Amino acid sequence: MAEPVLDIRNLSVNYLTPRGTVKALRRINLQVPSAKVVGLVGESGCGKSTLISAVIRLMAENARVAAGEIRFTGKDMQQLSPRDLRAIRGRDMSMVFQDPMTALNPVFTIGRQMADIQYRDAVSGKEKLKRAADMLSLVGIPDAVSRLDNYPHHFSGGMRQRITIAMALLVQPKLLIADEPTTALDATLEVQIIRLLKDLQADFQCAILFISHHLNVIAELCDFVGVMYAGELVEKGSVRDIFHRPGHPYTRALLECDPSVIAEPTRFLPTIPGEIPSLIDLPEGCIFYDRCPGAAQVCKKIPPPEVSIAEHHTAACHCLEV
Amino acid sequence: MEPLLEVEHLRVRFKTKSAVKAFIEKDDDPYIDGVMGVSFAIEPGRTYGLVGESGSGKTTVARAVMGLVPVDSGAIRFNGENLVGLSRDRVKPFRRDIALMFQDPAGSLSPRLKIRSILAEPFRIHDKMPENLSVEVARLLKMVNLSPSMGDLYPHQLSGGQARRVGVARALALSPKLIIADEPTAGLDVSVQGEILNLMARLQNDMGLSFLIITHNLAVVRHVSDHVAIMYLGRFLEQGPTQTVFHHMRHPYTQALLSAHSSPDPDTVHHRISISGEIPGLVSRPLGCEFHTRCPGVREKCRRLFPPRADAGKDHQYFCHYPLSVSEN
Repeated sequence: MAEPVLDIRNLSVNYLTPRGTVKALRRINLQVPSAKVVGLVGESGCGKSTLISAVIRLMAENARVAAGEIRFTGKDMQQLSPRDLRAIRGRDMSMVFQDPMTALNPVFTIGRQMADIQYRDAVSGKEKLKRAADMLSLVGIPDAVSRLDNYPHHFSGGMRQRITIAMALLVQPKLLIADEPTTALDATLEVQIIRLLKDLQADFQCAILFISHHLNVIAELCDFVGVMYAGELVEKGSVRDIFHRPGHPYTRALLECDPSVIAEPTRFLPTIPGEIPSLIDLPEGCIFYDRCPGAAQVCKKIPPPEVSIAEHHTAACHCLEV
Repeated sequence: MEPLLEVEHLRVRFKTKSAVKAFIEKDDDPYIDGVMGVSFAIEPGRTYGLVGESGSGKTTVARAVMGLVPVDSGAIRFNGENLVGLSRDRVKPFRRDIALMFQDPAGSLSPRLKIRSILAEPFRIHDKMPENLSVEVARLLKMVNLSPSMGDLYPHQLSGGQARRVGVARALALSPKLIIADEPTAGLDVSVQGEILNLMARLQNDMGLSFLIITHNLAVVRHVSDHVAIMYLGRFLEQGPTQTVFHHMRHPYTQALLSAHSSPDPDTVHHRISISGEIPGLVSRPLGCEFHTRCPGVREKCRRLFPPRADAGKDHQYFCHYPLSVSEN
């Protein structure tokens, strides 16, 4: 594999709080190869958002990188000055947020906002607007030139998310981070946005780090998938490995909970009983021990090693039969 | 069986201008239609699912049943009594029997009140203070699998699933017969979603409750509801028993909505019925069949005339000039 665009090695992030140190991320290893889509799945509180904020180096004030490194196109993000970081954000690395209503500035026209983000380019304002219009029609907004004069509230929810995608891709980033970009949208629009992202990714050849809790969307869009639980990356592999041959009991339980995979209508759906353990007092052994249906004696005391199941497919579990 | 709730030709309109402005602008119809003549019935102990995209009017139907928006015409019969047009005082006893679970679990709990006080509020409002309130609150919390000590917490100290369960407990306070659940699983993780739905199913079994569930999640509706209605711009485009609608749908919108749901398998080849664009706004309601602007099988007639109601079998109705043939699905 060529050098990955994003290389996260052994990353641990803590939050310092009055109640103690919250160990929000622990020993994360994740690579995003160039021009591939990597999905991150996990439930609330698993550390997805902390991971993104660590990657773009926009962390909360009380967050500390306790260990590990993040390399973006070979550069160590922690060593970069704020000035260098600003040169990367919105240029080589751009982002699509969950809520398209709040990601756009309500008091400026779309055209103004799309021209503004090209501030680094030494081209005329007219050229910038032309690029903006081209990009808008590429993401499927009809009559793009005249719509540059519209304000965000003139657009519907799905349209606004198309605009934020257009803005993110306008700078031709090497890495696009998409944080739950379809969660706020209806099913028919979600399909449209996923298809759009797929097509554009093929055209632009940028890598995408796609965060979602929606398994179906991950299955459709991503090449590789990482599964997070309570601050750890418990399993990662190709999308087929994860969905067809899940190794970690948490991944398996998560897939079974999805009501759309249960063919026969049933009143009682499977769940994962229990709660996420406290991230301040971490359990000694496996983080999933309390909720794992197949937990063994060893799981309680000793943290599981990362076991290789197949090429590029690993899971952190004591009880895997390889 | 006699239905518990029967809604007939319910129509809800929203005023868009003040009377003066409408007069000056010579607008003799300053209204938009939120709900355009929907009819459905829920039998005791049954679950009815209301499905549709944002802006289709699902929540407005629920609010009309609760008496929270004025009804323009039609009837809402609860236990045989028409609630439309009744005075506030006469509606109040019926309101005890219908409870609402709000869409935003955390937002619908007052941040300044402890869980205990939140659960006491329905009793206070309806003058039904139990003799021993703390026993009653503990009982409610237990019913939704929360420990009674949670009564001392504030809403921000709860997880999303716990806040949702408090919402269920509050709905149960006055022992209602019907619970209207507005997006009961929105914003919940899949593993918690099951817990809430199982809790609702258990309560239905134990207490014979009826549910009106409003959601855009078809995977959930398929499992929990007996009957389902597919809503679009304030109309039911198709309604019937859940299995029939899911497997023998006649309306192209139902088909498109179902095919939009992807499956969690990277190898599935999606045979998607692609519908372009988005749901039009209520202000710019299309002429004829409202769905014609996005329908893949649109013909000339659809642009002019709203289709009449067609019956496809027992309890199964749809509104379409050119329905899907039965063999198509």
